[in-house]
Amino acid sequence: MTRTLLALCGLTLVLALGGSPALADETCQSPYMAKITGQEEYVYVWTLGVQGLGDGSDKLVTVDVRPGSSSYGKVVASTSVGGRHEAHHGGLTDDRRQLWVSGLDTSKIFIFDVAADPGKPKLVKTIDDFEKASGGVVGPHGAYALPGRMLISGLSNNKDHGGRTALVEYSNEGKHIATHWMPTAEDSNGAKIESVADGYGYDARVLPRKNVMLSTSFTGWSNYMMDFGKMLQDADAMKRFGQTAVLWDFHARTPKKVFHVPGAPLEVRWAWGPRNNYAFTTTALTSQLWLIYEDEAGEWQAKAVADIGDPSKIPLPVDISLSADDSLLWIDSFMDGTVRAFDVSDPHQPKQVYEKVIGKQLNMVSQSWDGERLYFTTSLLANWDKKGADNEQFVKAYDWDGTELKHRFSIDFNEAGLGRPHIMRFGAKSLYSN
Amino acid sequence: MRLRSAIAGVLLCLSIAGPAQAEPAAVDAAALARIAQPPLGLPPVPLPADNPPSAAKIALGRKLFFDRRLSHNGTMSCAMCHVPEQGFTNNELATPIGVEGRGLRRNAPTILNVAYQKRLFHDGRETALETQVISPLLAPDEMANPSIGYVIDKIAGLPDYAGLFERAFGAGPAIGRLGQAIASWERSLLAADASFDRWYYGGEAAALGERQRQGYDLFIGKAGCAQCHPVGEDAALFTDGAFHNTGLGYHADEVAARTTAPVPVEIAPGRTVMVDRKAVESVGLPRLTDLGRHEVTLDPADLWRFKTPSLRNVALTAPYMHDGSLRSLEAVVRFYDRGAVPHEALDPMIRPLGLGEDEIAALVAFLESLTSVDVGALIADARSAPVGN
Ligand code: HEC
Ligand code: HEC
Repeated sequence: MTRTLLALCGLTLVLALGGSPALADETCQSPYMAKITGQEEYVYVWTLGVQGLGDGSDKLVTVDVRPGSSSYGKVVASTSVGGRHEAHHGGLTDDRRQLWVSGLDTSKIFIFDVAADPGKPKLVKTIDDFEKASGGVVGPHGAYALPGRMLISGLSNNKDHGGRTALVEYSNEGKHIATHWMPTAEDSNGAKIESVADGYGYDARVLPRKNVMLSTSFTGWSNYMMDFGKMLQDADAMKRFGQTAVLWDFHARTPKKVFHVPGAPLEVRWAWGPRNNYAFTTTALTSQLWLIYEDEAGEWQAKAVADIGDPSKIPLPVDISLSADDSLLWIDSFMDGTVRAFDVSDPHQPKQVYEKVIGKQLNMVSQSWDGERLYFTTSLLANWDKKGADNEQFVKAYDWDGTELKHRFSIDFNEAGLGRPHIMRFGAKSLYSN
Repeated sequence: MRLRSAIAGVLLCLSIAGPAQAEPAAVDAAALARIAQPPLGLPPVPLPADNPPSAAKIALGRKLFFDRRLSHNGTMSCAMCHVPEQGFTNNELATPIGVEGRGLRRNAPTILNVAYQKRLFHDGRETALETQVISPLLAPDEMANPSIGYVIDKIAGLPDYAGLFERAFGAGPAIGRLGQAIASWERSLLAADASFDRWYYGGEAAALGERQRQGYDLFIGKAGCAQCHPVGEDAALFTDGAFHNTGLGYHADEVAARTTAPVPVEIAPGRTVMVDRKAVESVGLPRLTDLGRHEVTLDPADLWRFKTPSLRNVALTAPYMHDGSLRSLEAVVRFYDRGAVPHEALDPMIRPLGLGEDEIAALVAFLESLTSVDVGALIADARSAPVGN
């Protein structure tokens, strides 16, 4: 029942917006989400607290990016949630009134109201029984807007802190709706398995037009919480990384095919174009760009289409951002602190066209819908970030003129006593003023 | 989905059995019976006079062991490092990870048959299961509680613990009783009656294959293993309970730690790249040494001495040694065969063994014959407790 309803909702939304996915101000957002019509005014930065720095707590930091504002490029608000939770990802609800951000360690989800005062988000609810409500899922990762609900991909479980996990759905009101465990070899739930089915999770995103969802696979709590240097030298731990991407029947929420994508495929980006039936993902450890696409026969396939940097040095590609016209893919890699732009107008043959070192380490990238502004943050995971002087922590903004990234502003999060900046989401007053 | 139905099943059982019922649940009765009569190959269970086991203590101890709320931020239970399905240790990590991802230096030992350990931990610093629980509860890199009082207050305030301490002890939550409850459950995790036991103690000539018997002969003979991992007349723990320097810790601290060679990193199954050690170090905290028994006694003679572990169920408890540095039984046997880097503190019993390939395989086969038939039942016992969130 609910599933049919949901399907209908999705359809209505897509139809209402003229048959193409809803535009969003920041690329790479859920197509079910409302969009900012003008320029972004605030960047919300979900930031990890650092023991001994400031109040040591995870916090939502608001950066003013209103052109001409006297506080342009400055932190204008910071709300601590109390304690360290391994702040990581989050997302806005479909109506864009709430920002859900979560902690990979304690599995808490913090819901901020960003509508009442977009310049000063307010913590309005904390979900602190995620593990219990979901039936044992640990590490709520993304929060991806579906009509009236949030899709949250887990990373781990409460039985062994390993990588087996599930996708979890919550209503926008914060009530648990459903838990869908990732397919495994023992319990494939009807999915066709290319090679292995590890049951791991990371990202999950939907292409409503084709009724498909794609999920990827990272690693469990023990690994993502562990000192990175220690882990690289622990041969057993290194065996516990995702090697799969799963294509789901979105409406039925059942897995259709488990692709073999070794080396921890992370972020998923569906193309926007109405005839572009494909998605990109990058593998963190093997440093490859993968294409998941529907072939001429209507069958979904996965293949590696490019290397990112020198894979033998493990540059560790992390976040990616696809331009709204599907032509340019920005790829951040952590170890070399570099962003690379790939021309992906032929998705089967991407070509690197640009690269720039942004800092000693680099994680997230968010670009504006018009592709003219890019924002970067540095922190990957509390215990994976570089140590000592290499541990730069910043938000940096750049303009992209089509050939060059031009620096606009930087905020040093160490110096400001804030912590480790991670995911960014855009906000604007114009969204709520009719 | 299977997880959910399992949890639902457990909840159902609990609501039928009802925590206040006088009749012990079958799983607790079975645990008590195991303590009273350990499986073939194990000696009688030593029981402290002031903590005789009871069904109520066992049930409470099990519940506590699986309760993640026993850590400061609700993420770690004892079972997160002693995972039932992973030999009651952690097969996925050389050394486990505690609160906020803090890394431990040492591999988590199995708690199967821990009832017989006279000294606990790799360095033997603790002497009773009842008091051992305090260490992980307070260690900042394990469960990181600010104090014992904090833990007890927290438990006293949890509705699902209402009446459980009273039923087990006639008194409410306190650290001594918490230790007694967990220790009571741990004592019931007895796993023997392996192929070896049936052959050696049960008189079943066919229980061991030829290769395994060859391995046994090497174990007590040429390879000299039984000097430290002894086999008794009526029972065997495969440990002398003593501390030895096998050369492994010395090598890790004094030789391997000084290397500048690139680090092999397996980035996908079968795909290994050699990574510049400096790059690895840039994302890692400095390695800590581990001086073993010396850290307790401060006696130079105890440098790099570690407790001899039992070898029962050893096939289930990889990776091996105090630092989890050896990943397979074959790697362990090859380590002994090589005989360690010579140095003054090395145990004289450790010397090159000159084993042939078939002898190495035979020793491994013998070690694999030490896996109890009861482990499945113990996992089921363990998982009869819901994970406390
Ligand atoms: C963060 C992982 C972790 C947690 C949590 C943890 N342990 Fe352990 N446990 C270990 C490690 C590692 C050792 C060995 C430590 C050493 O030798 O110094 C150990 C040792 C032990 C031993 C000694 C075994 C032997 O053969 O000497 C027992 C018993 C034990 N733990 C029980 C518990 C109990 C009970 C709890 C919960 C109160 C617990 N552990 C929580 C990792 C953990
Ligand atoms: C000098 C005493 C001694 C001798 C001889 C000896 N061991 Fe050990 N054994 C130990 C000690 C001590 C450890 C623990 C070392 C550590 O933790 O670093 C150990 C560890 C092991 C382990 C790993 C168990 C675990 O849970 O990590 C295995 C397997 C093992 N020994 C098998 C053997 C075999 C097979 C032989 C004969 C080839 C042998 N041992 C000879 C003392 C000895």
